[in-house]
Amino acid sequence: MEKPAPLGYGLGLRPVYYDEILSSRPPIDWFEIISENYMLAGGRPLAMLDRIRADYPVVMHGVSMSLASTDPLNMDYLRQLKALAERVQPAWISDHVAWTGVHGVTLHDLLPIPYTRESLAHIVERIQRVQDFLKRRLVVENASTYISFLDSEMSEHEFVREMAERADCLLLLDVNNVFVSSFNHGFDPVAFIDGVPAERVVQFHMAGHTDNETHRVDTHDQPVCDEVWALYEHARRRCGDVSAMIERDDNFPPLSELLDEMQHMRDIDARISNERALSAA
Amino acid sequence: MKLAKFQSMFQASVRAGSGEADKPLLKKLRSSPHGANPETLLAVYQSGYRLRLADFVSQDHPGLRAILGDEAFETLVDDYIDQRPSRDFNARFFTTGLPDFMRDSPTWRDDARPVSMALFERAMVDAFDAPDKTPLAVQALAEFSPDDWPRLAFDFDPSLALLELAAGTTASYGAAINEEPPPEKVDAPATGDEIEYAAVWRVDHESAYRQLEPDEYVALCEARAGHAFGDICQMAAFQQSGDIAPERLAQCLSSWFEEGLIIGLRVCSDDQSSKTPSSA
Repeated sequence: MEKPAPLGYGLGLRPVYYDEILSSRPPIDWFEIISENYMLAGGRPLAMLDRIRADYPVVMHGVSMSLASTDPLNMDYLRQLKALAERVQPAWISDHVAWTGVHGVTLHDLLPIPYTRESLAHIVERIQRVQDFLKRRLVVENASTYISFLDSEMSEHEFVREMAERADCLLLLDVNNVFVSSFNHGFDPVAFIDGVPAERVVQFHMAGHTDNETHRVDTHDQPVCDEVWALYEHARRRCGDVSAMIERDDNFPPLSELLDEMQHMRDIDARISNERALSAA
Repeated sequence: MKLAKFQSMFQASVRAGSGEADKPLLKKLRSSPHGANPETLLAVYQSGYRLRLADFVSQDHPGLRAILGDEAFETLVDDYIDQRPSRDFNARFFTTGLPDFMRDSPTWRDDARPVSMALFERAMVDAFDAPDKTPLAVQALAEFSPDDWPRLAFDFDPSLALLELAAGTTASYGAAINEEPPPEKVDAPATGDEIEYAAVWRVDHESAYRQLEPDEYVALCEARAGHAFGDICQMAAFQQSGDIAPERLAQCLSSWFEEGLIIGLRVCSDDQSSKTPSSA
């Protein structure tokens, strides 16, 4: 399996941090952008992106491809995405196992699907068409979900594995999403991580969520919690050298707090490497 | 259930919010292992949908919220979400239709101040990510012979919007973004009365605005429509201000350069310069 080279430890690029990033050049190996935030005619977002891209690798992460929707693929969206990719030259482009709307409407959310053979065939065909259009392998992320369906014919990780292998796409493993969905639906998050094809995983997302006691919501407005750090360690042991990053989308802390979370990833990875070196010796 | 039917049902449920209509969908959902019933879990999507779209409107329209008050603003936003669902993949453009929605709505169309504020704030948002162009310095004029000046025409930054607004709109907006009390309420203007003019554009990556005197508003409109400097001087609006029209227009022109509004200069052909300005 040919994969893009690992980029190290990254951060989701958000406007609140533009000035500090440009002035202090913090120790961040790469940035992930929300593609739609830069699919604009001009102005500050693109100007900031160009300046940051001059010094850092960037990957593009979208929320509007609507891969699982039964509406036709939005070719206008894909053309704009491709144009942005030509400008940014990202290491890869990602989106989600989700849909965002039908009948021409968008709900601006990553919506769940039943894990059926029909859904699988549908999303595989669309990923293949997107890959043909973009002329590159797509990276597809497991989404957080809050409802699950009696009609589902397989587990989420079985769906993701089959999808990735049939569409020959790559995977973005959102460790927090695994945890949130496992809590909400009562599956084993370790079994999920063990069930996805590790050789196709090119990126980890790490983020915080909101604990509503009876269910958890993927809000990206909290620090990464201990359970998710434990899962990260498991995912890292299984998937090896994969680009990892912190996603924060609300309740923004000082940049230093996110750098601390990135350092925590580095510390876990260093510990794993040391253990492996010792056991090999 | 086929995927397409499920998605139609799910979307209708999210848009409508929780209610009796959810029952067929709820029958398709598994129970939560931690005690949340399917209604609660479905409501994560239903409430998230409205909160997210309402947040887009709040971010783009602080002035509108300030002049309407929270309750009326939220009623407007609810109506807008219900009647104008988003059809653009980019959330940035969800609010673009709000001024037109208000002008079409029996509830809002006769209320000039809120409609005017919505138009103004849309222009501010649009200016922020309009196409990039490089402004010209006033020295660019030196490249043209004084004999050509009457036939000089100007190209303007694509972020520029010229607005005719209800009086007090820009002051109310300024107070709102500075979190000051709104200025004393201005009554809705009668047609053609109690209006103000404003230019909105982008400077150094930020949206900017200023009020315009009526003569400058007319001059800017005509200049942007492609009319030449000499033609604009001949216009009725300038003639009425006495015999200083060229000087006044030169003063305006200087401001336009200083503010980064002008991105191109060209000499019109005789045919072009002789066309009659649209508002003369």
